[in-house]
Amino acid sequence: MTRHHPDSLTLMEFSAGNLSEPHALCIRLHLDQCSHCRSRVETLDSLGAVMMDQQPKVSVADTSFEQLLARIDSAPVEQPTPVARTPRLSPLQKLLGDDINDLPWKRQLGDVSVLDITEKFPGQSERVVLQKLVAGGKAPAHTHRGSETTIVLQGAFADQKGVFNQWDFVVLNEQDEHKPVAVGCEDCITLSVLSAPLKLTGTFTRMLNPFIR
Amino acid sequence: MMMTVQSSNHATVKERPVTTLEQQKTKPEGRKDPWGPLLEKVGKTQDRAAYHSLFEHFAPQIKYYAISNGMANHAEELVQEVFISIWRRSCLYDWRKAAASTWIFTIARNQRIDMLRKMQRSSAEMAIETEDLWQIPGDNEDEPVTSLHRLMSERRIRESLSLLPEEQITVIAKVYMEHKSHQMVADELQIPLGTVKSRVRLALNKLKVILQDQNV
Repeated sequence: MTRHHPDSLTLMEFSAGNLSEPHALCIRLHLDQCSHCRSRVETLDSLGAVMMDQQPKVSVADTSFEQLLARIDSAPVEQPTPVARTPRLSPLQKLLGDDINDLPWKRQLGDVSVLDITEKFPGQSERVVLQKLVAGGKAPAHTHRGSETTIVLQGAFADQKGVFNQWDFVVLNEQDEHKPVAVGCEDCITLSVLSAPLKLTGTFTRMLNPFIR
Repeated sequence: MMMTVQSSNHATVKERPVTTLEQQKTKPEGRKDPWGPLLEKVGKTQDRAAYHSLFEHFAPQIKYYAISNGMANHAEELVQEVFISIWRRSCLYDWRKAAASTWIFTIARNQRIDMLRKMQRSSAEMAIETEDLWQIPGDNEDEPVTSLHRLMSERRIRESLSLLPEEQITVIAKVYMEHKSHQMVADELQIPLGTVKSRVRLALNKLKVILQDQNV
């Protein structure tokens, strides 16, 4: 059971369909594991339905319904047949394959590896990166420019705000300087959506600055 | 055991005094979702009369939804796509998992997202489908049924919404109907982002939609 959840405003933007794909992916991955937030989103979807109902209505073209029937009649495959509900691949598997440990990771400072997957989301303004901290490893202290939305995909990390386990959701911004440590016996892998690059705060590590290009 | 329970319930209903029934009737209508059974008819028997009733009610809503979302040139097309999707998926509709209007809203939202995505890029570029990210209620078979919660919540939202100040409804409407982020709403209304967020939070609290932003 996850302990760190998205806030209601973010879930509302998700329900309204207004989040970018990378942000929606973070929310989806959390929802898939969190019944508490799923039920919040269900309620927000109902709010969307009620809003749609209470707004003005606009008449459709006279021929609209006939067109629809013509389309249905001309395409028998579109008859409602029970779609086989095969277990769907998680969006993560579709995107990254079965083993997120086995990716072309790029080793950065000591314990940190990164993999930039921004190009998997064409047309987005945000950077999307996977970060891996080896079990027991430490990341250099850093703050964030803009905001960074992160979901833990594997393992856990801890910083001064607490412990973040698998599927926990966290948003960090300019005020949050942190120095995460991977806890537990697994490497900690996170997926982050960055509205702007991070900024290292240590004097020495600033020179190495892996996240700023 | 089951039989006993059922028949005793049945007896209670029969014996209930008329006054109690009257009192129940004064509660706002909506104990039952009027559109759910129609949707089920479409799913089970491809009932075109039921499909037409759904179209008459929801198509004008969806057309407005498209226009307010800045898709005036594609509004009819969105209506068509949403209703084709309703036809094809109606056999998966489960009234215990979502009120029909909620289910239809999620389809409209997804078709809007899908249409915009397809305008922006080729399908080869889309590793993830819209519905991998935004699911339709009932698609996930493993999901436990939470019918009472769902049906209650939609009715409750409808009732409570009429009690909210206009400024709160305006903000929510812009988020849902105009595809605007909280920041864009703030810019448009020329009020601080914090004010927009607090209006939304106040509204959601009053709607009892969300109380728990704390860790659970």
